Amino acid sequence: MEENSKLPKSVLNIPGTKPNVQNGQLLLSSGIPSLDELTGGGFPVGSVVFIEEDKQCTYAKILLKYFIAEGVVCGHSTFIASQDMSTNSIMQELPDVLSFDPEPDLNKSSNDMEMKIAFRYQKLPTSDKPKELDIGHFYDLTRVMPRSTIERSDITNWSKQSSTNVPNTFSNPDYHYLLEDIKNKIQSGHFNVTDKVQQRSILRVGLHALGSPMWFDRSFTGLTINQHRDLNMFMFCLRALMRSAFAIAIVTVPSHLISKHIIDRCIYSSDIAIKLQSFAGTELENNSVLADYHGYFQLTKLAAINSFASKHPGSVEYVYKLRRKKFSIEKLHLPPGFDDSQNKKTPSTGCGSSTKHLLEF
Amino acid sequence: MECKWQESNPLLTAINLQPSDRIVSTFEQGLSDANFITTNLMKKIFSEDGKICLLILHNTIGHYHNVLKCLGHDLMQKLKDGHATTIEPLKNITDFLTSDKETLVKHLFLAIRDKMNKLLVSHPNGRVYLIIDDLSHLLDLDVDVKYMTSFINYCINLVQNDRVHVIVSYHIANANDKVISNCLRYVSNLVIDISPLKTGISHDVTGIISIERRHSTDVALRKSVLHYKAYDREIKTFAPGEAIYHLYK
Repeated sequence: MEENSKLPKSVLNIPGTKPNVQNGQLLLSSGIPSLDELTGGGFPVGSVVFIEEDKQCTYAKILLKYFIAEGVVCGHSTFIASQDMSTNSIMQELPDVLSFDPEPDLNKSSNDMEMKIAFRYQKLPTSDKPKELDIGHFYDLTRVMPRSTIERSDITNWSKQSSTNVPNTFSNPDYHYLLEDIKNKIQSGHFNVTDKVQQRSILRVGLHALGSPMWFDRSFTGLTINQHRDLNMFMFCLRALMRSAFAIAIVTVPSHLISKHIIDRCIYSSDIAIKLQSFAGTELENNSVLADYHGYFQLTKLAAINSFASKHPGSVEYVYKLRRKKFSIEKLHLPPGFDDSQNKKTPSTGCGSSTKHLLEF
Repeated sequence: MECKWQESNPLLTAINLQPSDRIVSTFEQGLSDANFITTNLMKKIFSEDGKICLLILHNTIGHYHNVLKCLGHDLMQKLKDGHATTIEPLKNITDFLTSDKETLVKHLFLAIRDKMNKLLVSHPNGRVYLIIDDLSHLLDLDVDVKYMTSFINYCINLVQNDRVHVIVSYHIANANDKVISNCLRYVSNLVIDISPLKTGISHDVTGIISIERRHSTDVALRKSVLHYKAYDREIKTFAPGEAIYHLYK
């Protein structure tokens, strides 16, 4: 979306969005309150969010589901594409909306956990106090969104086309068809910035596992390098499309299968870049310090739109946790090392005797 | 006598854009953002009553408008008054998707030349600046290096007219992008590098600015290195190591 310092009234009334007065942006929720907070209040409309998937693609898919579920609840239109799995199955697994936080952080809410030292500071407000949501909703991952709710919303499932007229734009024509279909959706739904409509809405584009081997064109077996370069062109074109519309795109990419220089260019073409590094299957899985978490959450890029300074949180390290009902992102806090003494084992054998005899002095 | 705006803008004082700087290149390395250099240079050009032809490939016109408003200039008004003109391929990007990259580059240059000629005719005495932001996106459109160099060659040849200046920004994401950046570095009179801190992210310092000037009369290169901190509405520069002093003064 083209940003103007003063947003028109028709734009301010879009459900599920919030204007950022400081820099004239329109923000919308990712569906995860902790992620909204991390990105400065939400994702800016008109931006491209690039997610480097974890190796099993478990958590990236959850982020995508939250994003789409939030769109369905807010009455936004949705465009979803995937070659790795059926888009219908993604829609059928959307989490159901709740009016309250399903699993509030006990450390923050319970009175029993109040600090005993420095009692004079107990009445002071803390920054960690749970806030009411400006935008966005809570979701329950154990419950599935009712089919009737999904059917009521405007959802476009993209399917691969087979055409005899293969365009000369991308080496893999699927990228061309996908781009054209997103453009057509923007035009038919009147999401363009220049379109004059009474009630505006937002188009949420979710592209799952873009650039994975499933996206390769089967008719060109030897063109994998060019097909990866297609990804750069696609990301740049997607950025251009999003910028000129009331739309936002989330693209998840299996970055471990793609060359680094391709990923670097993709990150440059995106506005927000996130990397999910799961502990599963790595040596960090058994690290007792990280036992409470499921992976590192790296905010690689947060572009400065309409401003000089980015809202990037800096050098703070974040981790994500998948609880039974919700996915949350937290600051990494290492636990205190109280149990060090328990872990120390006294050697039973060796030159020196560590177990002194009672009569020995 | 130095202008008042220049005194209050340490970044522009550090860059010190001069009439002899005919070709200016701005490079951003890695995850750094050099857009503030372009917008601050635009501020200086407008303050000196220069005209701008802006080729937009990375941000939107709305972004430039909002940022320039913080710097005291209304870009939309400048566009209306004919002090600036834009070329925005992003608006119809799918039309730019063609297998014939030579034609793509050719059309882009012809659009630039037409707009520049119009500005030169309408303002017969002032300087006219061509600003390209960001040239590296042509690589994303799969334009070959040979066509990129031809495009650069055509653009910098516009400075044969004494009133024309060219400012190019270029993003270096990896070693592959350095072929074009080295070419630009070679032809530029003024090179500005923006890079993040090598040691990681700092709360006090956003990144490093390196300014390298090549004079036609002076064989030696003059290079200065500064640290900067980006705020919502301004950029503060300071010598490396002065960050804490800068925060408390």
